[in-house]
Amino acid sequence: MREPRADSTGTSAAAETDPATTPILEMRNIAKRFDATQALEDVSLSLFPGEVHALLGENGAGKSTLIKIITGVHQPDRGEILLAGKPVSIGSAAEAQRLGVAAIYQEPLLFPDLNVAENIFVSHQDRGQVVRWRSMFREAEVILAELGVSLDVRSPARGLTLAAQQSVEIAKAISLNVRVLIMDEPTASLSAYEVAQLFKLVRDLRSHGVAILFVSHRMEEVFEIADKVTVFRDGRLISTRPRAETTTRQAIADMVGREMALLRPRTPTPKGELLLSVSGLGRDGVFEGITFDLHRGEVLAFAGLIGAGRTDVGLALFGIEPATTGTIVLNGRPIKIHSPREGMRLGIAYVSEDRRQLGLSMPMSISANISLPVLSRYLNRFGLVRTALERATAEAFRKRLSIRTNSVDLPVAKLSGGNQQKVMLSKWLNTKPSVLILDEPTRGVDIGAKAEVHAMIGELAAEGIGVILISSDLPEVLAMSDRVLVMREGHQLATFTREEANQESVMTAAMGQASSPPDGVAA
Amino acid sequence: MNWLQRHVRPEQVREFSLLLLIVVAVIAFGALISGYYTSRTFDRIASSVTIITIVAVGQTLVVLTRNIDLSVGSIVGCTAYFVGTLISHNNGLNPLLAILIAMSLGAGMGAVNGLLVAWGRVPSIIVTLGTLAIYRGTLVDLSGAKTVTTDSLPPWVIDLPRTDFISFGSFYVRELVMLAIVIVVIFQIGSNFLTFGRRFYAIGSNPDAAALIGLPIRGQVFTAFLLCGALSGLAGFVTLARFGNITVEAGRGLELEVVAAVVVGGVNIFGGSGTVVGAMLGAVMIGILEQSLFRLQISEFWRDAFLGLLILLAVASDAVILQRLRALWARADLKLVAKPASEESVSP
Repeated sequence: MREPRADSTGTSAAAETDPATTPILEMRNIAKRFDATQALEDVSLSLFPGEVHALLGENGAGKSTLIKIITGVHQPDRGEILLAGKPVSIGSAAEAQRLGVAAIYQEPLLFPDLNVAENIFVSHQDRGQVVRWRSMFREAEVILAELGVSLDVRSPARGLTLAAQQSVEIAKAISLNVRVLIMDEPTASLSAYEVAQLFKLVRDLRSHGVAILFVSHRMEEVFEIADKVTVFRDGRLISTRPRAETTTRQAIADMVGREMALLRPRTPTPKGELLLSVSGLGRDGVFEGITFDLHRGEVLAFAGLIGAGRTDVGLALFGIEPATTGTIVLNGRPIKIHSPREGMRLGIAYVSEDRRQLGLSMPMSISANISLPVLSRYLNRFGLVRTALERATAEAFRKRLSIRTNSVDLPVAKLSGGNQQKVMLSKWLNTKPSVLILDEPTRGVDIGAKAEVHAMIGELAAEGIGVILISSDLPEVLAMSDRVLVMREGHQLATFTREEANQESVMTAAMGQASSPPDGVAA
Repeated sequence: MNWLQRHVRPEQVREFSLLLLIVVAVIAFGALISGYYTSRTFDRIASSVTIITIVAVGQTLVVLTRNIDLSVGSIVGCTAYFVGTLISHNNGLNPLLAILIAMSLGAGMGAVNGLLVAWGRVPSIIVTLGTLAIYRGTLVDLSGAKTVTTDSLPPWVIDLPRTDFISFGSFYVRELVMLAIVIVVIFQIGSNFLTFGRRFYAIGSNPDAAALIGLPIRGQVFTAFLLCGALSGLAGFVTLARFGNITVEAGRGLELEVVAAVVVGGVNIFGGSGTVVGAMLGAVMIGILEQSLFRLQISEFWRDAFLGLLILLAVASDAVILQRLRALWARADLKLVAKPASEESVSP
């Protein structure tokens, strides 16, 4: 099952005789494009046996795409992959596994109804047609014992803690004799103790010569475990440095150091009266202690990494997932928001980051989508929809937001991402909100449309709407906002004014570093 | 974690409670119906359970993969009728060959279902709802609404339901009952000890993960329908032997009883968990209810309504009760525990 390591007779130009200096996995000039976005551009990366290689980058920097290419989920448009010096093409996840490449994700992919032992051995193709439960249980126990994990191999995977599920995934990888193990944010939902346990396993694997690609957003973890640190930005590999030769400051600079020229900063408008005052807002186990004021004509940005709880705050303010603690005061009146219907009635609108799931009805026409939240305004006295009025509204928004379409009767699915985003914005502006929550309004949108959305945000603020902008795009946050609220793991870490906020201060807070990161190794 | 929790899984608790429920039902009906505890009652229930069980075993495989086969009643009717016609025209047909023909006919119809579900990507509930009507329609058309009659069949077929395998006093186990038991045992073992059998569970439990590790999902789903069809074909032959007179109505509505048996027997309708033995227990429960309600002179329509209620209760209890049981077990279950603190320090 395990391929013999390629001999060193020089199949590749760079082949050297010492196995420790021959990469087990080498990627050369990988490129991948999805529709309008260049997800990866000319990426070359080598993984060596017995090395933990950390991958850093903002959301959308191309880390996930790279992982999916290594594990055979996506095929690269250009470039080649060499495994132990031999060019390979990885056509499927199963094939990757056969080649000794496995991946562990934040949410482990186990079979909840199968027991622990079976989950470990389910992907083995060499165990014959008959399941020998006793020997399977015994072997599973041996592997788990080697890992120092105590788990009942007979209990079903359903109900195991995330940490336990991850150790099952690692046991699975070990039983398959992996040579390359990719860990995609494995620590995101683990407690500090569980992280320590996991790192013990990682060091163990490393000492057995496994090459580990470790993706994490937590700086301190990366600098604790990694031997090398590679930074991605906008689909390109920016730098690869040994841990000893880099610092968190350097890594963060590499991650965010993008050109600002494309973004024209918004001219702040004088802020009006107090609109929304939130204090101590929380939802059990998701976020807590969120406190801020929002004035008319102000843009307040929520910065932070994916999973920081920013979207959850937005959902709570709109009533989709109501808050359990804290107070909300709108226009001087304390309010409770239990449902989106109430949120809408109070003049709050939430434009979701998830256009397909929560935002738009793809097969329905543009005009029908726009009128949907306030359809009662479009009924005639017999309770039927006045389509002419619907269309007039849609036409007005089409002009105002320059939605590029031949007709407002076309289904939304036919539009590009940027135009879909504008339809969604129209839909919520049509509810005439006083507080507009925008969740990642420019994700997956091309640069032109992005600039238009930004201009729109500026206009809306100038009209006196209070805008909450949830964005992972740091330059966008800095260009658009009057104030920046930074969240990390459900907590509000810092609030910066427009003057205080810059790439470094915001990113440092979002990564959970002290406001001035120490030079040198933060281990 | 106490002894009970260490040795028994929540799913098994469900099966035990079903067994208990069966005993309670038998006692209750015994009190309501005079002369309930006789070999005649046992015989009637057993022959009804036999047919439901054989089909329920096949249905279990299908349901494990997150699918459903609603066409089983039509397959049973078709095979009963066509094999019956064949035998009544060739009384000298070898019994084993007749059974083999019945199973092949059923397998053929199951294969059509499987092909459409696995490769046609049509949801199984739609495919088999369609073939339920198509198979039945074909039967009505080809048969010209004629009937297979008992007197046209050779004695070995007619006597088969009364052939004993073993007897205890006035109670006896018929050969056909034995056949059902053998099938249950074979499939219970196969689904538990064969890699092939375990894949039904894996696919239904987490299709994404199954695809990721390259399990042959389509082939496995196809096989589930194929086997379900073959077993329905066998059940069609048993139906022929049991009733002798086969009209185009044979096996009609059987899918309701079979699906009821499977879900009452604890097979998760969303796939991934449940056992063949559980489905058999479900079939016993359904058979007892059916025959006993018949003895209580409750109309056929109320019996069907009762089965419908049972399906709803079983699925609802699956969601609620099993979840509670699992939570109880999980709390007691072992957690990820570290070995004694010999680890290198984490934050130097």
